[in-house]
Amino acid sequence: MNVAAQSEVPLARTRATQWASPLAVACALLLLAATAEVVLDGAVGHSSLIPKSPAIAGWLSGVGERLGFRVFLIALLAFSAGYAGLIALARSVSKRWAIALVVALHAIVLIGPILLSTDVFSYIAYARMGVEHGLNPYTHGPIAISHDPIYHYVGPVWKKVDTAYGPLYTLISYPFALLGVNGAVWGMKVLATLASAGTLALTWRCARIRGRDPVTALLIVGANPLYVIYALGGAHNDLLMMLLMMVAVALTFAGRDGPAAATVVAGALVKATVAALLPFMILARRSLAQAIGALAALALGAAVAYVVFGVDGVNIVAALNRDAAFVSTDSFPTEIAHLFGKPGVFPIDHDLLKAALVIIVLHLLWRTWRGYDWVAASGWALLAISVTSTWLLAWYILWPLPLAVIARDRRLLVATLAIQALFIVHQMTPLLAPVK
Amino acid sequence: MSGDATPLERRLGRLPAGLRPLEHERPGSGRLWRVETVALLLGGILLAIATVNDVVLGTRTNHRLVADLRTWRAYTGNDYKNVATEQDIQHHTTTDVVCGNTVPGPPKERVQICLQMTGPVVRGYRAAKGGWYLPANTEKNLRRYRYGCFGTTKAQGACPR
Repeated sequence: MNVAAQSEVPLARTRATQWASPLAVACALLLLAATAEVVLDGAVGHSSLIPKSPAIAGWLSGVGERLGFRVFLIALLAFSAGYAGLIALARSVSKRWAIALVVALHAIVLIGPILLSTDVFSYIAYARMGVEHGLNPYTHGPIAISHDPIYHYVGPVWKKVDTAYGPLYTLISYPFALLGVNGAVWGMKVLATLASAGTLALTWRCARIRGRDPVTALLIVGANPLYVIYALGGAHNDLLMMLLMMVAVALTFAGRDGPAAATVVAGALVKATVAALLPFMILARRSLAQAIGALAALALGAAVAYVVFGVDGVNIVAALNRDAAFVSTDSFPTEIAHLFGKPGVFPIDHDLLKAALVIIVLHLLWRTWRGYDWVAASGWALLAISVTSTWLLAWYILWPLPLAVIARDRRLLVATLAIQALFIVHQMTPLLAPVK
Repeated sequence: MSGDATPLERRLGRLPAGLRPLEHERPGSGRLWRVETVALLLGGILLAIATVNDVVLGTRTNHRLVADLRTWRAYTGNDYKNVATEQDIQHHTTTDVVCGNTVPGPPKERVQICLQMTGPVVRGYRAAKGGWYLPANTEKNLRRYRYGCFGTTKAQGACPR
């Protein structure tokens, strides 16, 4: 390298550094604008993207216009582009600005309507069934309370379906039934926001423990388009599950194996998927405290579930098997079936997918036994569950994200973000060919 | 193994070296890492191709649906928004059926006319060579409800009578 070239390199670096901060600010503004657009337009209602909902965001309805597919998808693309830019420039974002951005995104979504999913109304319906009507949500679908005001908001597909959520989540949701329909929706939104805040705080803490940049970790999770628009926007209980998952990871990092294993079980009693962490945690730590903690939590959870909900409240496996048979158009198995000229997945495909998942998990268990990072192995397992599932929703591919940002294997983060990018690409059909 | 090892650790220590649990991965597991990375890349490529293929299929279907709706409106002279389109998901042909009210009223609460669309999209329209009627308040386009088949559907036996 000659002298002139040597002097140009630091100059170019200085220029890049000078541009990094304004570009990061532009990306952050893009995220905020896209979120505000979706929320304000969503508040108008009367859109196939916004579920029929109690009037909780009516005070925002005068600002935007009815949310159509075109505007929503452009906002989602803009958000995703801003997110990609922000992640690339994360090193030039200060701790204070990163936290401010994530808080602002949460605040915008919190004050807006329920976005893109009716699930939260199912949560409330199950709670009202138990509290207001004395019905067991593990033996009855919301149709059993068709006279209740929440019933009109439950998604048509779920009206006859018993709850598939864990008994701990059902018990957590019961007090919300006492708040009335509007109060319960607000309560669920606040719960999702608090769970998200907890998840992000623990992601920050775990990233520091693992020697990762906590600002980058915070932005990757807390400013993620699927996380903000879909998971927070829909007030999904996956955020509560992810909080318990990160509590368990933080406890393990602190050497508190027993409480960590108990917390994973508690997470599984919210949503069963998080149980995937337990075998990897046990193989990596191999402590008696884990077995005691997990068994104690399981025994306590099962006893409480049995007392409150009877045997159906304990049998979560039956609900999981039922839901595993569902098929969504966004699932990767469905897309692969279309690629090979099939109209969709068949029962044999479900068996093949289960077999593939078992092979992947066995490989990961073996790798963990031989010293591979158990956090990464858990993340891979969660990613494999979502990719092989025939029932894929946006918030399912968020499960591995907090683990991916703290894992020692960077391939997990790349794979998780790539899968999320493919999911977003798959949403783009109405933008390319709108049906009028 | 240290003297203060737990009974479990002592027992695991008796396993053959290749089966013993390790605290950290051994250096030299690069070959396995490469194999995994190749498998991941191949899986990723498959998923990417499947996703793009699905978007292309969806885009084509949407183009066809737009032409179907435009054709139905042109043939019937009714510019209704609530017109239902059904695709042939059983045999994967591009033959679609588009049904809508014959006179103004809430969707499906009036006598409906259904047109069978076939062939390619030409200048934004498709060919409607036959069809049938459905009585008012019929939710589903089932053969047993159809009547008054006309055009090619008559010969196909699309109506029960």
